[in-house]
Amino acid sequence: MYIIGENIHIISEKVKEALKARDAKFFQELAVKQVEAGAQALDINLGPRKADGLEVFPWIVETVQAVVDVPLSFDTTNLAGIEAGLKKITKAQPIINSTSAEPERLEKVPLVAKQYNTRLVALTMGKSGIPVGADERVSIAIEALIPRMIEIDFPMQDLIIDPLVLTVKGCQEYCPQLIEAVRTLPAAWDPAPAISVGLSNVSNAVPNENRPLINRVYLAMLMGVGLQLMIANPLDKEQGEVIRVIETRDESTPLGRLYLKIADRIAAMEEPQPEDVDFGDPEQVAIWKTVQILLNKVIYADGYLTQ
Amino acid sequence: MPIEIPKDKWPGSVKTITLGANSDGGTRTSVVTVGGEKALPFMHFEAETPYRPAVAIEIKDRKPDDWSTPLSEAWGDAMNDPAKWARAAEAAGADLILLTLSMTAVDGSPNTAENAVAAVKAVLGAVGLPLIVFGPGNAELDNALLVPVAEATKGERLVLGICEDKNYRTIVATAMANGHLVSARTAMDVNLAKQLNILISDMGLPLDRVLMDPTTGALGYGIEYGFSVMERLRMAALQGDAMTQLPMIVTIGAETWKTKEAKVGEGVPAAWGEWRERGINWETMTAITLLESGADIVVLRHPESVKRVKAAIADLMVAA
Repeated sequence: MYIIGENIHIISEKVKEALKARDAKFFQELAVKQVEAGAQALDINLGPRKADGLEVFPWIVETVQAVVDVPLSFDTTNLAGIEAGLKKITKAQPIINSTSAEPERLEKVPLVAKQYNTRLVALTMGKSGIPVGADERVSIAIEALIPRMIEIDFPMQDLIIDPLVLTVKGCQEYCPQLIEAVRTLPAAWDPAPAISVGLSNVSNAVPNENRPLINRVYLAMLMGVGLQLMIANPLDKEQGEVIRVIETRDESTPLGRLYLKIADRIAAMEEPQPEDVDFGDPEQVAIWKTVQILLNKVIYADGYLTQ
Repeated sequence: MPIEIPKDKWPGSVKTITLGANSDGGTRTSVVTVGGEKALPFMHFEAETPYRPAVAIEIKDRKPDDWSTPLSEAWGDAMNDPAKWARAAEAAGADLILLTLSMTAVDGSPNTAENAVAAVKAVLGAVGLPLIVFGPGNAELDNALLVPVAEATKGERLVLGICEDKNYRTIVATAMANGHLVSARTAMDVNLAKQLNILISDMGLPLDRVLMDPTTGALGYGIEYGFSVMERLRMAALQGDAMTQLPMIVTIGAETWKTKEAKVGEGVPAAWGEWRERGINWETMTAITLLESGADIVVLRHPESVKRVKAAIADLMVAA
């Protein structure tokens, strides 16, 4: 699993404060910590920065690049800011995150990506928003995103399609559909485009204590359909353990066997079954309940685990 | 060629809930039982619909300042006296009464517990129908009014509302202590509806004493969204999700009569037709639509709408 570390994100109060103070040390430590934990690239989301983007993006690139060698991912809608940042890149091939199929963005962003030789994350979102169905999302890739890349001769191996994870709290019907989109998208083109998702979006607005479990279970399901790249928190050790168990097919623990079984069931286009679960083990019961909400079988509620 | 009609067989069912009591402190001469569905609404060929959806008429403890003219014309002087209003509602065919307590007295001072208890007792004395009592919709005042009401009517199996996620503990506690039921309201959101039921259940109130009010919009004002939420909750109930297996109540009159089409008689296009008839149609259509999405209790305001909705329910309940 290739993880693009998500922790330099303006939604965090600490990041917000450190940015205000231009606290280079804070960002350098956060960058190093993520890379040491296994992140192979770093997402940098400092918001649109309409007022100070031309100064902030070059600054953050120089700051982070001074301590790590991995690719940096510019996660912002500020295209001028991205360009200013790209000019400072001296290390690995960077990533622009993102374009969508909205006409204005699809016209401009890929041209910048091509000019600066970056990889490009493209969202399966058109001007009428994010479709629920997996097929509609795949259609956006085939009918809008990929044709635009061909049109400007953008190297297909640098395209990363993101079918958009939405939260189980409020967008529950999207959760199983996203799994199917990840399953289908690699067949959208030859060579297959890379697929990436923002994993932790699945638990947006969920109470903090339940978020890691929902993320982990969804990850097991997504690994079942072949996910190899994601924007996620590399510091989540239990999540790293699920990745290791599934990648190495480690069947040595009951919990590991359950995660592996979930991935295998989803891979075979089946639903996990009660017989896969030891209902005497509360941890396994919690995983089972989480599978039920992620497959939209049981309506999500904040207290779903206590039910 | 014989055609076989496909039938769904659902593993779950909606809880059966009885409103009002005629013993152990209850003085009702009639009680209302709702719920118990084992199939989607009116799919009689799949499973028997054990109880007819009930029609409640909403009255207030004093004449409201902001109700539409067709409503005040229909109820006339009775609106000045909750007991008279309740009797008129009973005569208009109500299966039960919803009494909404006002925020203020006529002179603008805040409503008091004494007034609330007196109004509830007057209504209970005037009619033998089961009673739902809603506070004015302000957390602090709801609690201040509903607790004394609950204590003064112990054993009547009133429905007390409005329980919302920010304010449910006090109402649930007093309902538990005094043998009443509660109505749990959330704003058109399946996740929040289920969560509130979990929270109420966690307090120890058995779920067969909880009604679920998923709220809705009137015709033209988001009814399709309300419909989908109710439909989804009902399907979850039938699939076996215990925390959604509650009968649903919707306050259709309150939603309908605040729409421009029902509320306003002047300065609207002539093509909209006669005001009174338009308002009644709006309320009736909203009610019948939501009965189709699983409403167990529809709360209406106009007596003519009650007549029409009851006729529609009678037709819908006839097994084909």
